[in-house]
Amino acid sequence: MIEVKDIVKVYAGKAVVNVPQLEIKAGESIGLVGNNGAGKTTLFRMVLDLIRADKGEILSKGEAVAGNEHWKNYTAAYLDEGFLIDYLTPEEYLYFIGGLNGESKANVDDFLTTLAEFFNGEILKRGKYIRDLSKGNQAKVGIAACLLQKPELLMLDEPFANIDPSTQIRLKNILKELSSQRGVTTIVSSHDLNHITDVSDRIILMEKGVIIKDIATSSSTLAELEDYFAVGQSF
Amino acid sequence: MTSTFISHELKSFWRSKNTGKNIAVRVVMGLLILYLLGSLLVIGFALDKILEEVYKNQDIVAPFCGILLLYYLFDLLLRLQLQELPTLKVQPYLHLPVKRNTLVKYLSAVSMLSFFNLWPYVLFSFFIFKIIAPDSGLAALAFFVAITGLMVFNNYLALYIKRRSNLNGWIFLAVSAVLILVNAGDFLWHLYSIKDISYSFFGRMMTTPALALIPVALAAVMFYINFLFLKANLYLEDLNANKASSYKNSTDYPLLNRFGSVGDLVANEIKLILRNKRPRSALIMGLFFMLYGLFFYPNPAFKNNEGFKVFVGMFMTGIFIINYGQFMFSWQASHFDGILVSKVKFTDFLKAKYMLFTGVSTVAFILTIPYIYFGWRVVLIHFVMYLWNLGVNTTIILFFANRNHRRIDLSKGASFNWEGVGATQLLISIPLLVTPFVLYAPLKYLVNSNVALGVLAAVGVICIALRPFWIKKLEQDFITKKFKLAEGFRAK
Repeated sequence: MIEVKDIVKVYAGKAVVNVPQLEIKAGESIGLVGNNGAGKTTLFRMVLDLIRADKGEILSKGEAVAGNEHWKNYTAAYLDEGFLIDYLTPEEYLYFIGGLNGESKANVDDFLTTLAEFFNGEILKRGKYIRDLSKGNQAKVGIAACLLQKPELLMLDEPFANIDPSTQIRLKNILKELSSQRGVTTIVSSHDLNHITDVSDRIILMEKGVIIKDIATSSSTLAELEDYFAVGQSF
Repeated sequence: MTSTFISHELKSFWRSKNTGKNIAVRVVMGLLILYLLGSLLVIGFALDKILEEVYKNQDIVAPFCGILLLYYLFDLLLRLQLQELPTLKVQPYLHLPVKRNTLVKYLSAVSMLSFFNLWPYVLFSFFIFKIIAPDSGLAALAFFVAITGLMVFNNYLALYIKRRSNLNGWIFLAVSAVLILVNAGDFLWHLYSIKDISYSFFGRMMTTPALALIPVALAAVMFYINFLFLKANLYLEDLNANKASSYKNSTDYPLLNRFGSVGDLVANEIKLILRNKRPRSALIMGLFFMLYGLFFYPNPAFKNNEGFKVFVGMFMTGIFIINYGQFMFSWQASHFDGILVSKVKFTDFLKAKYMLFTGVSTVAFILTIPYIYFGWRVVLIHFVMYLWNLGVNTTIILFFANRNHRRIDLSKGASFNWEGVGATQLLISIPLLVTPFVLYAPLKYLVNSNVALGVLAAVGVICIALRPFWIKKLEQDFITKKFKLAEGFRAK
């Protein structure tokens, strides 16, 4: 699905992402972990052709992402609020996204009823613009917009960060279902090691722009990750 | 503590991405302020001469005393429109161990640093020194005390009204209505004369300087009211200017649905304009510009000057393209990443811009049709310039939009907001203003003005016909620039 070839991004003389080789196969669910500044968001942005790599290239389904638009037909992503049009109501925004994918409003409405539980009554028909929603609820709108596009590749940057525990669990179920039932490739970054090991079958650990671990999830993965992140603890 | 606040304030000014870095903007800003201050200085310096000219062979102190109160009424009106509330900046300190009194005092003090507070001195001090001081030094001192008092009073009254109307929008309308009624009572209905009232106070001050303490007392009371109000309302929800107070409906423009995703994009942009303060003011400004012709057409000096009408016509039918378009695509800075990864094709994105420009300009042209009162030729010129705007100016604007990578925060108001202003806006005005005349002027003098107008119209129509070509060129251009745009828009 995604092939990263020798990619380097430099900011102020420092390589923030330096990945010689990475391949993500169709249907895999990837968990991307790493401390702040590890380069997760930068890598996401390069996969989405939002920033230019200084070296190397990223292929999606065998075609270069940079300068092309073919990947837009099967990719959906939510990285931050910068993806939302904040002066629209959630309904208007979702209709807009639906319209881009050739979905009628009725279809969008149908789809949104399946997300009623995920929205928990806080998104639709609340009479608010997206900018007036809390960060967590904004994230729900962004994730819903992704799901609405029925993507083959779904990329979420720290989706568990601002949402409430119930929604976190619902989101985990959605992600698992997407990957097991529909074979969607997912790339999700998170700081929550429990959640991320739960939803991913492969964990990629980044540190200062470099991938230092790339492991298939097993029963020992969580302990291994906790070990890595537990700095200087001795008990 | 206060010195820490001041140092933070200075840092926030110099380090702000939008005000600090661009030297061109700083220079222009400085020149504008200097020009304004200079003009006021000239008026202030010559005030006694001006009054002598108007009130020949009369005592000029009386009219001077008469205009003082009028000035402060006008000042209040201007302040309500333009003075900024120094509010949101306190947010990071609210939860820290800083006393509320300190914060409120600081906020109050900072609000005095406004250009409005310089005006009365610039305008009136020369007169007081030249005319009143020689008569009575004490009276001159009283005048200074009084104008200072009224200035402080106005400063805090304006801020108080603005803060109140932040909580309740009707207050602003009520105050505006009162101010208009006060003026109408004098100038329209002649119930009383503000000048006489002003004279009866300031005139008496010549003999009883102690009266100057009344404005000072007023100022002190107003300061205290403002202080108490701020202290009681130092909560985030009150400070925040854009609260979600009323129910926001989803809107749909059935007419635009027919145009598919281009129509959707136009609908979104219309919502952008209507639901955000700054683009909304750009639109309203454009509506006011429809009156632009009234300043020039009745004037006999311009009657036979068609070149001028070309200029006015271009502005009236194209003001939206210029005023709103010069900041493209910064308006969409906050969700530009979203646009880039979405399935929006850039050609559709551009088509939507053309469609929006065409729609608004058409409305503007229709609104200028009543100018037919000044002759059908005026409307003909408007039509020619309407075609020119649609053909040439839209494309020029979009060409520059590809080069404009400054973020605009839509939630901020329009007055004195320099965010998003950069060299692009200065550069853009040159082709917009110069190109029509490069064609028009030589043809008019070498052949005649009919041919000149005809050529302008023809160029406009040809450029409209070439839109698909421009869109292709602009897209190629955009692809080379999009990373820089996206990066600039991301930088808060």
